[in-house]
Amino acid sequence: MLEMRGIRKAYGAVQANSGIDLDVAAGQIVGLLGENGSGKSTLMKLLFGVVSADAGSILFKGQPLTGHGPAQAMAAGLGMIHQHFTLVEAMSVTENVMLGAPDAGPWLSPRAMAQRIVEESAKYGLDIDPDAIVDDLPHGRRQRVEIVKAILRGADLLILDEPTSNLSPSEVDGLLAIMARLRDQGRAIVFISHKLDEVLAICSDIVVLRDGAVAGTCKAEGATREGLAKMMVGRDMPPPVARAPSAAGRNVLHVGQMALVEDGIERLAPITFSLRAGEILAIAGIDGNGQTELAECLAGLRLPTAGGIDLDGHDVTLAGVGERTMRGLAYIPVDRAMTSLVTGMSVSDNLALRDFDRPPLSRRGWLERGSFAVRASEMSQRFAIKMAGPHVAARTLSGGNQQKIVLAREIGRHPLVLIAHQPVWGLDPGATRFVIDQILALRAAGGAVVYISSSLEEVMTLGDRIAVMQGGRLSMPVDREMADLTQIGLLMAGDVGAIHSDAA
Amino acid sequence: MSMDIAAMADLATATIRIATPLLFAALGGLLSEKAGTFAVGIEGMMLAGAFSGAISAFVFGNVALGFALAALGGAVTGSLLAFATARCRADQMVTGLAVNVLVLGLSSFLLRGLFGGRAPVIRLTPPAAWPSPWLSDLPVLGPVLFRQPAIVYLAFLLVVPVALFLAKTRAGLILRAVGENPEAAFAAGSDPVRIRMRAIIAGGALAGLGGAVLALQEVGSFTDGMTNGRGFIALAAILVGRWTPVGAMAGCLIFGFVTALELRAQSWGLPVSSYVMQMMPYCLALALLAGISRSARLPASIGIPFIRH
Amino acid sequence: MSSLSGVDAPNNGLPPGKVAAFNTADLLRRALAGTATRAILAVALALLITAILILIAGKNPLLAYAALLKGAFGSLDRIIFGLNKSTPYILAGLGVALCFRANVINIGAEGQIAVGGIGATAVALSGLALPGFLLMPMALVAGAACGALWAGVAAFISLKRGVHEVLCTLLLNFVGVLLVSEVLHGRLGEQGAGFPQSPLLPRTTWLPKLVAGTDLHIGIVLAVGAALACHILFWRTTFGFRLRIMGASRNAARYVGISNMRQTMRVMLLAGGLAGLAGGVEVLGVHYRLIEGFSAGFGFNAVGVALLASLNPMAVLPAGLFIGFLEAGALAMQREVGVPSSLVFVIQGLTMVFVLCALGLRGERSKV
Repeated sequence: MLEMRGIRKAYGAVQANSGIDLDVAAGQIVGLLGENGSGKSTLMKLLFGVVSADAGSILFKGQPLTGHGPAQAMAAGLGMIHQHFTLVEAMSVTENVMLGAPDAGPWLSPRAMAQRIVEESAKYGLDIDPDAIVDDLPHGRRQRVEIVKAILRGADLLILDEPTSNLSPSEVDGLLAIMARLRDQGRAIVFISHKLDEVLAICSDIVVLRDGAVAGTCKAEGATREGLAKMMVGRDMPPPVARAPSAAGRNVLHVGQMALVEDGIERLAPITFSLRAGEILAIAGIDGNGQTELAECLAGLRLPTAGGIDLDGHDVTLAGVGERTMRGLAYIPVDRAMTSLVTGMSVSDNLALRDFDRPPLSRRGWLERGSFAVRASEMSQRFAIKMAGPHVAARTLSGGNQQKIVLAREIGRHPLVLIAHQPVWGLDPGATRFVIDQILALRAAGGAVVYISSSLEEVMTLGDRIAVMQGGRLSMPVDREMADLTQIGLLMAGDVGAIHSDAA
Repeated sequence: MSMDIAAMADLATATIRIATPLLFAALGGLLSEKAGTFAVGIEGMMLAGAFSGAISAFVFGNVALGFALAALGGAVTGSLLAFATARCRADQMVTGLAVNVLVLGLSSFLLRGLFGGRAPVIRLTPPAAWPSPWLSDLPVLGPVLFRQPAIVYLAFLLVVPVALFLAKTRAGLILRAVGENPEAAFAAGSDPVRIRMRAIIAGGALAGLGGAVLALQEVGSFTDGMTNGRGFIALAAILVGRWTPVGAMAGCLIFGFVTALELRAQSWGLPVSSYVMQMMPYCLALALLAGISRSARLPASIGIPFIRH
Repeated sequence: MSSLSGVDAPNNGLPPGKVAAFNTADLLRRALAGTATRAILAVALALLITAILILIAGKNPLLAYAALLKGAFGSLDRIIFGLNKSTPYILAGLGVALCFRANVINIGAEGQIAVGGIGATAVALSGLALPGFLLMPMALVAGAACGALWAGVAAFISLKRGVHEVLCTLLLNFVGVLLVSEVLHGRLGEQGAGFPQSPLLPRTTWLPKLVAGTDLHIGIVLAVGAALACHILFWRTTFGFRLRIMGASRNAARYVGISNMRQTMRVMLLAGGLAGLAGGVEVLGVHYRLIEGFSAGFGFNAVGVALLASLNPMAVLPAGLFIGFLEAGALAMQREVGVPSSLVFVIQGLTMVFVLCALGLRGERSKV
């Protein structure tokens, strides 16, 4: 059904795709494996016409596709489901589907469309209410809206870009079942992922990309995790991170019955936990289950509506960001581009973001530019920040180096407690490793860390104790040695019976 | 008592008359805002419409042609704004403001420049009222609602197609999607930049008509800066009406009523200075906005330029 | 959200390996270089288009521009006229620039200037038995205070009720200007004058002349001082640092613990104070009385000046002078060549649109 030959695409000096071939047949699910930055997303964007290729040819259902945009790609029968959904949240499911339907006339017929949604939904087991407002739907449901959108637009080939990254284990199973039904109806699917088990479970053929080129292709049958992993990374897996056993320190953070209610909605059910010096509490969970609220309550960006926070013997429940920072709290939020960095400001300004209003960076409201410079040169050396100079805007740096600025600022001042929310999100393996090593170094130096991530792998690697967040509740933290992956999976999926939020 | 009824009827007639240019502008601004562009420039588009309408009606001696060219003038102004904000991603608010002043200067300059250094005295005969048959004979309501000039009916009738367009047509759905989430509209195969431009330009044409109503119908001449903030009041009416055509109409009627009241308050001999009365529409706009704003929901992507990645 | 406030420090890194001296002067020099290029290009383009308009109107654009230049700089009197005209634009423009930097779109300078003028007049006419050297500064302070109050009202409504600050400031402009008319027909009006104006202010409250025997008052010194102060405030103090963070990203500001409410209020009060001061200077230095409509167009010019300066406080100075002299020259042009002075609005409007487009397009490059 699809033949891609010799696809090339460069972004500036970076060769994102250097001569890639890809074949997909009808009724086939092809897995596209690769690490971040291996060129998977670029290849699919080229196919879908979101960006245009530098060289290569695409043959789809026997017709060449060249110089096409998303509109032509969709008309030809391609459907793409992005990692970030392209749904209008304020509109209903029906309206969202009608938005892309090409064959209808100038007048909308919402009732007929709703009927078709119900039919297709039943056919593939999607279970969608056409009148629901997208804003009210959970992540997994929105994904199904995207799928029905693509199907009703007549997509014969569906591209699913990392579709399982924000799903709970049971939602993943549901999605795989839907994919199987789509395949059985004769549609083709390109399944982009870096999760080996899922790819092995559903695909017939697997294509592995590395550094913008095809590192290997194989049948799923007979392929092994180890073999695929080696193909992806291009070498043996890096040695697991070395970590000393945690020396039980004193209690530095205690959260007692902390709850948050906003606009009448309970964002955080009463949460209780303690954290000792030199300990990492890793919190797993699917995005949007209260992690941001928890992190922001701890960091002082939101005030809890009940309960208390005690930081090193001081009640900081109502303290502002400044006071908590002074008492040794550091926070790495999830959003680098807009929150933890001011990309338009210089590197040295960004390094000063947290304590510019205190000596030595300022005195009586006057900035001490000399101290800014000293800090910048110190930190750029210690954290190996690659940049043209401390005065360049942070946006000119690579993602990894940007995160190093944040690390330098938050870890560089030897905090008592660090809240890290998805700190390796979107980073390449090297940068990821650097961040992990820094966090472990902080732990070794006696720092306490709350590490929040949706990646089970990270959580199991880093956590001394592990807890799960679901629906604004925190399960009772368990020691890593005692942690059971099945139970964590169940907790993430919202198996309420397994939750003991108040027990700690 | 009969005196009171006459006064009330007079007030109602004036309300509708004053609300008419506002309504055109508000409907135009609504299109622009629904597609994700703040309509701060409608003041300028109105003024452009007033100017081109008055000049062409004066030169060609044809009021209908005046209205047509007024829409064109508003649309041309709109296209400048559209190009700057949608294509060049210029700040919507401040660009709107800049275009307002540009039109103010340009209309004043052309008025003098084209007519040999001195502004011509433009005197136009406003189109007469056009009583609609039967309806105008209704007691009380008839004279108020149905003995208006034709353009007034047009303004209020226009609410229906605009509302239908937004709610029931594919183009309207796409336009709203662009205002909410241009990435989604783009992914669905539309070009958000082009749609925003079209919405601004169409809005400009409507606002231009509003300006023409002011010049050709209400005042019967053109003077420098004659819109005098009406565009901003129309903008407030959109907000007060919560981004719906019918709501915007209600907003325009409220502001029309306050202005009508202000004009009549003097003849009634109220012990309030005329300047305080003139402040009323602005103060009322602020008060209404302050009252509703918390719960009002803007198009989610308004003010944010669309960038194709 | 806005493409406005993202015009911060340097964008383009130096070639790797070459590490430049790290100091504010260097930083500022490069920021200003971009500003100047942008401003000059925008003005040139606007003048070109305007020239075509003059041609259409049947006049010679070269003669018109020559008359404009001569009108602006032709004699000492003309230069002084231009300087006095620039003064309020610089003062109010500084406030607007700082607000825009913080992504607070304050377009209420017009009303703030008007109300500032009322405050200054009220104190000057209060008949307080004070020596002039006290009453004059008091009148200026009153002007600034009233302007700040007016801006504070807008900020309060905007922050407390979630109304966009553009609408708040815009609507209050109309109210502020009408307030001038109201007081001139009431307590502050001159009986029997043919025009809505206040009585002549006592001589002791007039702004002293900078050069004896000319009209040049000390307002321009205030403006230069204010520009310097704003420059230092913006680049060298924690207040300015907070403004920069806030302008770049509201999320980052929240993350750092900056109170949006407090900071917005402060910068609005500062801007309102500067605009009110501009109103006071205009009343005490130029007209010696409050006149109906004295602030017409000032608010827009303040926005224009701020944009032309790419929101750099020091660059507001030349930008303000440019607009001031442009207007002064345009009046002469109208007299000499018969080209209507309203052309100035066209030049200003076009210049602003071009600067805004340039800033908007630049925003894209930085994101890629």
